[in-house]
Amino acid sequence: MSRPSSPEGLATSSCPTADQVSAGNTMWADIRALLPNTKEDLKLDFSEKVEESVISLLQQARDLLYGAGSLCSGSTRETCLQVSEIIIDYSWEKLNIGTWRDVDKDWRRVYSYGCLFKVLCMCSEQGTIADTIRVCDMGLLMGASILDNILVRIINVLQKHLTYGKRSAEEDTKESRRKKIRNDHSTVPSIKSEEVIPRLHCPSLEHFREHYMIPQKPVILEGIVDHWPCMKKWSLDYLRQIAGCRTVPVEVGSRYTDEEWSQTLMIVNDFIDQYIVNKNSIGYLAQHQLFDQIPELKQDICIPDYCSLGEGEEDNITINAWFGPEGTISPLHQDPQQNFLVQVRNPGTERRSEFPKVTPGVHGRAGKNPFLQIPCMGHYP
Amino acid sequence: MAEPGPQRGWFVFGFRGFAEPRGGGARRVEPEPGGIRVVRPAWSYTGLVTGRGRLALRGRLAGALPGHCRDLLPSESHVLLLRGAALEAWARGAGLCGGPAWRRQLHPGEAAGPLPLAPGGYVTPRPPFLCPLPPALRAQKLVLGHEHAALLGPAGTVYTWGCGRHGQLGHGGLEPVSEPRLVEALHGVPMGDVAAGGWHSVSVSEGGDLYIWGWNESGQLALPSKALAEKRPPGAGEAELKLVTHEAALGAEAVDFISIQAFPALLDLPEGSEVSKVSCGSRHTAAVTRTGELYTWGWGKYGQLGHNDTASSDQPRQVGYFPANGLTVEDVVCGPWNTYICAVEK
Repeated sequence: MSRPSSPEGLATSSCPTADQVSAGNTMWADIRALLPNTKEDLKLDFSEKVEESVISLLQQARDLLYGAGSLCSGSTRETCLQVSEIIIDYSWEKLNIGTWRDVDKDWRRVYSYGCLFKVLCMCSEQGTIADTIRVCDMGLLMGASILDNILVRIINVLQKHLTYGKRSAEEDTKESRRKKIRNDHSTVPSIKSEEVIPRLHCPSLEHFREHYMIPQKPVILEGIVDHWPCMKKWSLDYLRQIAGCRTVPVEVGSRYTDEEWSQTLMIVNDFIDQYIVNKNSIGYLAQHQLFDQIPELKQDICIPDYCSLGEGEEDNITINAWFGPEGTISPLHQDPQQNFLVQVRNPGTERRSEFPKVTPGVHGRAGKNPFLQIPCMGHYP
Repeated sequence: MAEPGPQRGWFVFGFRGFAEPRGGGARRVEPEPGGIRVVRPAWSYTGLVTGRGRLALRGRLAGALPGHCRDLLPSESHVLLLRGAALEAWARGAGLCGGPAWRRQLHPGEAAGPLPLAPGGYVTPRPPFLCPLPPALRAQKLVLGHEHAALLGPAGTVYTWGCGRHGQLGHGGLEPVSEPRLVEALHGVPMGDVAAGGWHSVSVSEGGDLYIWGWNESGQLALPSKALAEKRPPGAGEAELKLVTHEAALGAEAVDFISIQAFPALLDLPEGSEVSKVSCGSRHTAAVTRTGELYTWGWGKYGQLGHNDTASSDQPRQVGYFPANGLTVEDVVCGPWNTYICAVEK
């Protein structure tokens, strides 16, 4: 796709490269290619809920982006960055008014546009790639999808250009980490669930439906997920590589009913360092559409055929992923849907015979859609 | 400013409705003939009422303006005016052209103001524009947060209602309250003033003590803020640092940090200064002492704290601009992201 360098198009002149950028010009060109061709194509349509003063700021940022010289001019970029910050700060306040589910989706879109414009300012010059990805993730976490999920597509480009200098330094400690984890596993209490929950090897759909799903009896299904790519691929190093600098919400504290429980945001690398490798305190990556944010991980799993027994369409299946250390406890609860639970443990450790496993809704009432939970790694009590 | 202005003048720190280098110092508000009687900042513009009853708008809103104005309540969607003997709501989008979108004639004997107080209730910048209040409250002053309201009743009592998820109601819980409820923790201490920020509340006792409660996300309560303590080096952006889910915030912080203060907390200013006026921005707070000093704290990203920087502060800091220029502070009115100050030469 060719792009005009005329004032109404995005400038194609070279921009200064950012630090940590292996080939800054290439990266900027790649990101620019994700944007609509002309500013007229970048439509800013919002409901009346979004105030005129905010719309005019969004238009101002867009016009600066597509204006003569584009973001290659320092002062234009500086102004665009300020406008982006104002948009982000103002919509952030809107996102914090009322309960989250009542927040108008258009304010989440405004927030995402603010992040998008800020990201474009950042990757046209200053800022490290990791910082830029962080802003994209804030747009994904708090915003709503805009321009065909452009923030995800920008992250994909940024990650291609991200060097892993920091990780190579960590390679040294990898071996000791493995050892630590292995030692820790010896302390895991053995759960004799097989005494009460039957195990079946690849039962037929009909058998499963009649004997377990309809009577709502829990069962451990074996041999269902052996072929899933995650079984071979997932490791701490793989997660660092795919998602190391992605910002995710983390639950801190042993159980969400506890007083000390809280949520915080951190990048996956920090999460792994603080809560998976070193277990000074308990942290858990949950209650979050991880697979929506990082679709690469979703490609590593499949939807079990048994899910077709549910009443809903396949598109309506909810897939959640949790990632936590061993010993994580979920308080007793009931989910509204039928559940399949799959657990994948760090392959650097010995595989316990009962893992991985698939169980149907052990604590759910009959729901319309099957519910596939994928705790990426770790144990389930 | 070099201009030989009047002895008394208004100054402003912080956001002006558009992108500009942040953290600049005080700006003098251009004087109006007859003086500036009322300052009412919205987010992207500010409304002034002059001593001659003229409405002047500064910032991102201009246009032909109706006269005979006594008070206004500006917002990004509507401007509420107390004009002549009527309350009117004008759509902001129309640039205050055409006519009001809503109008309520005041009957003889009916008093309105200071806004949002209105006969039988209070006005809001959104339809239905007029909300009822129990007459028994005999409100002296009413202030509106993003999702709560605080009212100064007779004998210095304080009532709050609305959303309480950030502790902004001061009743000790996080539940919403639909009708005005007495803040019992303040009972017995007569209050002389109340103010409401986006998600926090402040009251000043007749003796000059300051009580504060609600969300401390940017240090706006002048209590230790985790977000400020964890502040990353410059360049990391600020808005992105502070996502702590509401449900998690109560009691979720380490002992040293306060995220939510659900009961009024007594706040001592340095040197035991007594407070005469207080005002809240969306996420910051400003207090004037009886000796004419100005203290600010909370969110400072747009320079609204007046300390010539863009830092947030979870401690009250005196604004040095006024003593340095031989000025005594008389009044303060916070906009969402800025701070207007009335000062007079010593």
